Amino acid sequence: MTLTSLTVKNIGHNWLRTMLTVAGVGIAIFAFVFIRTLTGAWEAGVENAAQDRLSTMHKVTFVMPLPKRYFGEFDGSKGKIAGVQASTYLNWFGAKHPVRESEFFANLAVDTDTFFDVYREMAVPPDRLAAWKENRQGAIIGEALANQFGWKVGDEITLVGTIYPGDWKFKIEGIYTATAKSVDRAQFLFHWDYLNDSLPEQRRDQIGWIASLVDDPSRAATISQAIDDGFDGEDVQTRTMSEKAMNMEFLGGASALLGALDFVSFVILVIMMLILGNTIAMGVRERTHEYGVLLALGFRPKHIATFVLGEGVTIGLLGGGFGLLLAYPLVEKGVGRWLEENMGAWFPYFSIPPKIAVMALVLAAALAAVAALIPAWRASKLDVIDALRRLG
Amino acid sequence: MSDAKVHEENRGDESRHDDKPARKAANKPVIECKGITRSFWRAKERVDVLSDLDLEIEEGSFDALMGPSGSGKTTLLNLIAGLDRPTAGRLLVAGTEVSAMGDAALAKWRSQTIGFVFQHFNLIPVLTALENVELPLLLTKVPASERKKRAQIALRVVGLEDRLHHRPQQLSGGQEQRVGIARAIVHDPKIIVADEPTGELDRKSADDVLNLLDKLNREFDKTILMVTHDPAAAERARVVHKLDKGRLT
Repeated sequence: MTLTSLTVKNIGHNWLRTMLTVAGVGIAIFAFVFIRTLTGAWEAGVENAAQDRLSTMHKVTFVMPLPKRYFGEFDGSKGKIAGVQASTYLNWFGAKHPVRESEFFANLAVDTDTFFDVYREMAVPPDRLAAWKENRQGAIIGEALANQFGWKVGDEITLVGTIYPGDWKFKIEGIYTATAKSVDRAQFLFHWDYLNDSLPEQRRDQIGWIASLVDDPSRAATISQAIDDGFDGEDVQTRTMSEKAMNMEFLGGASALLGALDFVSFVILVIMMLILGNTIAMGVRERTHEYGVLLALGFRPKHIATFVLGEGVTIGLLGGGFGLLLAYPLVEKGVGRWLEENMGAWFPYFSIPPKIAVMALVLAAALAAVAALIPAWRASKLDVIDALRRLG
Repeated sequence: MSDAKVHEENRGDESRHDDKPARKAANKPVIECKGITRSFWRAKERVDVLSDLDLEIEEGSFDALMGPSGSGKTTLLNLIAGLDRPTAGRLLVAGTEVSAMGDAALAKWRSQTIGFVFQHFNLIPVLTALENVELPLLLTKVPASERKKRAQIALRVVGLEDRLHHRPQQLSGGQEQRVGIARAIVHDPKIIVADEPTGELDRKSADDVLNLLDKLNREFDKTILMVTHDPAAAERARVVHKLDKGRLT
């Protein structure tokens, strides 16, 4: 036996209470990990956004379209805008599944010739890509969306338009896979021409925004400025920003909610700390006589304080470990898979980041130590004779 | 010995102590209380639990402290064991003036010099008998393997070598007290203080414990100071000191 093992053995004084405390800490840690993973996954699109991709949109709002002719200025081969490697254009389509209307997914009308030159982290088998380009009503969908609705290559489906009313018929020609974390794996991509040709004359030849790859990410700001300066004299001025900035703007409305969730995750830990502190204090009170015996045998107040702190940290670590054991199957395999498959637009990848797991474990131990501070200090101040007089 | 001290030679069991008087006559005092006073304040009133008390206990002796409740027995035992300090007077134990020591030094001195036997055994319930006995050695630099070995020897001395891995709740009262005694001797202290060591035991177990203390005194030369209410236990001591109202009578 060592002083350390004695500290650990002390948690066995009241197994029921220890188990309940560990379970309580574990559930708090589970909640912390779940919330942090949720907010982290939500922000992943921003955090992991491509640094070398710019979005050019209407200066007033991205809801207002740009003239399609603007795209001509981005043609890299003509070199009109220096520093741009490749560009493509997209329209937000905003249609819904005809039956499962409440299940949101991003559907976009894209330029089939250039889209995958700009979004290189989306991989499609060459034969499927060729088939998609050939079929004007063809669509390529993300693997998460395919799982969500049970769609497969060859299926003919209908979407109900909202921005562009009507029933829109498509044939699934391919399924893309993501090679980077930032990619939404639940997108629906179809021919921009199909949309444009179906619109009344006055709504034609308008695009939502232009996405461009730049050759030097460190010059993104300069290139953005050059693009916007190029359209300054036009009727419709542009606003160009990095994909990260665009995503942040898009998620701006959710930031307050994310902040609140982050705050709640810490409040849960503080509550855990207070409960743990009370439990440890109760244990110290009950064991006052025992501490008196140890002091009589020659143990010093610092030993007693260390025992109490060590006991707190041990319970914190056990609780943290239990919380992570709960979190991995429930968050990563259970809720996470469900969210990825059903809400892939918001949670393209829902898995517990290792740094959150480590942080949870460290916080559990650290907060447990803080919780044990006052009981440890009080235990270290015990008078040996008074302590021996207390009934064990 | 000073006039203030009244020693009552225990002659009830001459055969048990045949060899002791001659050896003990040559022994020097291991505990010397000189004008010890211990006062407490209750409300605004000073209460002298011990008053100007002088006492000497020889090395290798087996002494008992008797007296009615509140007479100051446990207070005196606490002072001698270094758990408390006198309000006035000098207290020398095993050559050290414990009345002048600081808390840290006193704790270290206790861990080296004193072995405690408590009335309620006071074993740590989450530890086995072996681990309980090992406790005082955790404060030393003795290596882990040696600590375990010494704890096993101590348990063998008290006849519990077959109960090494039992927890206190798996032992009888008498066995628990014997583990307590093993814990008191494992670090080879000069002095063993026992506060009502048979107070919680039936007669048979009490006799076993007293035999053990006697054995430690006779075979291992431990100085034993025992507080007791039990006349049968006091009979086993060589010298009985009687206390009343904070003074030796």
